[in-house]
Amino acid sequence: MAARISACMAQPAHRSICLDTVHWSSSSASRCQFLPTYRASQFSTSLPRCYPRDRNRLRSMSAIKGSGLGPSYKLSVTLEDLPIPVDSKEISKPQPDQQHGLWGFFNKERTVLSLVETDSAHGREWSVEELRRKSWTDLHSLWWVCVMERNRLATEALTRERLKAGYGKHEASTRDKAIRRTMRAIKHTLTERWYAWEDARQLADSDPEINQSGSGPLYRPIVSNDYLEEHDAAQSNEVKA
Amino acid sequence: MSSATSLARHFKRGQKLIYLPNFVVALQKTPNLPPTFAKFIVPLNFNKLDLRDYLFHAYGVRALAVRSYVQQQKVRMKDSAMNRWYRPRSKKTMTVEMDKPFYWPDDPEDFTPWDKETFDAASEEQERGQGGKRKDKPAPRMEEREDKPTLAEQAKALLSGKVKWSPTKQMQPLSK
Repeated sequence: MAARISACMAQPAHRSICLDTVHWSSSSASRCQFLPTYRASQFSTSLPRCYPRDRNRLRSMSAIKGSGLGPSYKLSVTLEDLPIPVDSKEISKPQPDQQHGLWGFFNKERTVLSLVETDSAHGREWSVEELRRKSWTDLHSLWWVCVMERNRLATEALTRERLKAGYGKHEASTRDKAIRRTMRAIKHTLTERWYAWEDARQLADSDPEINQSGSGPLYRPIVSNDYLEEHDAAQSNEVKA
Repeated sequence: MSSATSLARHFKRGQKLIYLPNFVVALQKTPNLPPTFAKFIVPLNFNKLDLRDYLFHAYGVRALAVRSYVQQQKVRMKDSAMNRWYRPRSKKTMTVEMDKPFYWPDDPEDFTPWDKETFDAASEEQERGQGGKRKDKPAPRMEEREDKPTLAEQAKALLSGKVKWSPTKQMQPLSK
């Protein structure tokens, strides 16, 4: 204990960081800009902020056991050896992931904002007549293409607003309108198909030849000999008469 | 872009199947957040589980954690002339933490393809033409005239003798 205290009495030869000499005031000129300046929350046990440094050299030392970091505890770093952080402009750019899913929110050229000419280069919306010929798989795929395209346009609208880029809002909204009309036509076709199916189902309910229970064939035509005999009898009656 | 079928789902799938989703999700740039975070503007009736599912199946983006925030919009007028105030629908944003970082492409430096100069000039002209009427703020009660001197300036001129006080309305002399 005595040896420890005597050791700390002597001034350190080199400017090493001792626990008792660490204070966050600007004593050293160039290095201090890299020392962190803390703004920690105040607790009931916090030291008052008016103190420039903690003048208790025996802080964290156990009075009974003498354990803990003593006053002459030297940290492994010195102020001379502090690494200088790399300038933010010189930090190398990270390798971008070309396969990332979020690229789906961007255009084919993968730019932040499409050109006005690119956005307005579109045809008319799909008509119901054209979509009637398409299968469910085709219609479903087209729906999702429309959804992704609308998401991309919305993302670009936000970007245009943020950058205050200029023209392009009208063209993008015209494109969006065409997409929404296509989606409406898809739903129209599917609704038509559903009504056709529903009408057929209701007709089938009243039809004795159609079995909708699920067990056995759907179409069971009634071919009875009685019918044929009746038909033959009717024909022979006609011949007689 | 990797397809969702090659990725294993990292969450329990919900029961409800939605074949024809009819909403828009927009990606917002967040330069102050780490690259593993992405922020989206989503429909108001969207929930975190919906977004996680949507991003995974539609875009192949694995969202490990989602945080949502509803921002109320400022009250504004339907028309700058009418005095019908309403509050637009709130905006819901969701911030998602991903497993892989995403780096946005650089913003354009030259805005000539979008004719920014003409656009800015045109919008400035339009604002001036509207006479400073705004939909988000009520019209100012008193017209702010820049040519009119303030009361203090008027008082100073009178006291120093530069301006002689005269009544606003002068009685006409009775005709004889």
